[in-house]
Amino acid sequence: MFDHIDPRSPTPLYAQIAARVRVAVAAGNLRPGDALPSVRQLASRLRVNPATVVQAYRELETDGFVELRQGAGTFVREVRAERRAGERAHQAASLVRRMVAEAGRLGVSVDELHAAIAEEIGARSP
Amino acid sequence: MSNAVEIHELDYRAGKSFAIQDLDLSVSTGSIYGFLGPNGSGKTTTIRLILGLLRARAGTIQVLGEPMPLAAPAVLARVGFVPEQPHLDPTLTVRETMRFRAAFYPKWDGVWAEQLLQTFDLDAERLFGKLSKGQKGKVMMLLALAQRPDLLVLDEPTDGLDPVVRRDMLSALIDYVSQHGASVFISSHLVHELERMCDWIGVMDNGRLVSHMPMEQFKNGIKRLLVSEAPADTGSAPFAVLARDRNGAASETWLVRGWESDMTAWFDGRGASVQSIVDLDLEDGFVELLRTFRRAPHGQEVL
Repeated sequence: MFDHIDPRSPTPLYAQIAARVRVAVAAGNLRPGDALPSVRQLASRLRVNPATVVQAYRELETDGFVELRQGAGTFVREVRAERRAGERAHQAASLVRRMVAEAGRLGVSVDELHAAIAEEIGARSP
Repeated sequence: MSNAVEIHELDYRAGKSFAIQDLDLSVSTGSIYGFLGPNGSGKTTTIRLILGLLRARAGTIQVLGEPMPLAAPAVLARVGFVPEQPHLDPTLTVRETMRFRAAFYPKWDGVWAEQLLQTFDLDAERLFGKLSKGQKGKVMMLLALAQRPDLLVLDEPTDGLDPVVRRDMLSALIDYVSQHGASVFISSHLVHELERMCDWIGVMDNGRLVSHMPMEQFKNGIKRLLVSEAPADTGSAPFAVLARDRNGAASETWLVRGWESDMTAWFDGRGASVQSIVDLDLEDGFVELLRTFRRAPHGQEVL
């Protein structure tokens, strides 16, 4: 879930970590009551500053995705279906934003982009 | 006590050719401070000054709240040091080396040292001199961690080691730091490693600290802009122009500091426009910073 955290990205590391958790919750890969890795475990695994993980977990707590139980750890909260759908829509939008920006840099037109999406998704659907 | 290391107006000279001048640097307690600079910029010298291994001509150094080198024995008992070159007796085994080291450090944690041997997959009975470069690096990290230091000073601890060894060493380091809240002062040329873990960045060049700020600020503030119809006068700009290069007749590449997204308006008002804004990662920022610093009149701070 936390693979491919990119320290070179302009998105701060804490925001990347928090986003991974939100995506996993939205997709149902993390369920209510599931424990997140401890700050120590995750920081050591990702070789990032422990403060970065703390900041990510605090943000998730503020957003209502997790709760911090003193001494016990960090646990996923019940997130309503609409909220999870909203999160997925948000991810989809940011995916498209990145794609459109990249297409602009590569000189790909909007029509060409549409055609490529239709073909790619058409090919994947049964 | 708020700072693990506090250096004030430090002056050091080695012969006529090299000097550290007016060095002011502080590492707040609990932070991981990344120390960058090209070869020969004074990083190792600064580290040796912090450890009391060299004497400054002027200025003060406080480490863990105590003056250096005056309080060196008490301070060094609480500092874990990984030097650039391992300097241990090659005729001792790893276990003998550990036992020797343990005698000097009151807080030595024998149980954890054994665990680290396992984690690092080291053979305790092998002679230090017979170990590979990566294994030597792991032994150095093990020794520094097992003494349970309040401050770790690491001089290019992973440079020249393979990625697996680097990963193991840094994971162990972070594991320790998250448990104990120890402070870390680490120099490295492996900029992306520092980019992951550091919350502060200091950049040395030619014996001077040319930049010293939180990592986020370092990364966010510096952008590369592609500007068309670039205005000549930047005196009224809300950001600082560090460098500008002509690309052709109509466009220039600018390196700016203090950039915020709404600042494109400044260009619009001058018949110019920003074609693209590139975020710089730590490595790009570091390289651009040095380029700019070297171009500036000598000694002028650019950041």
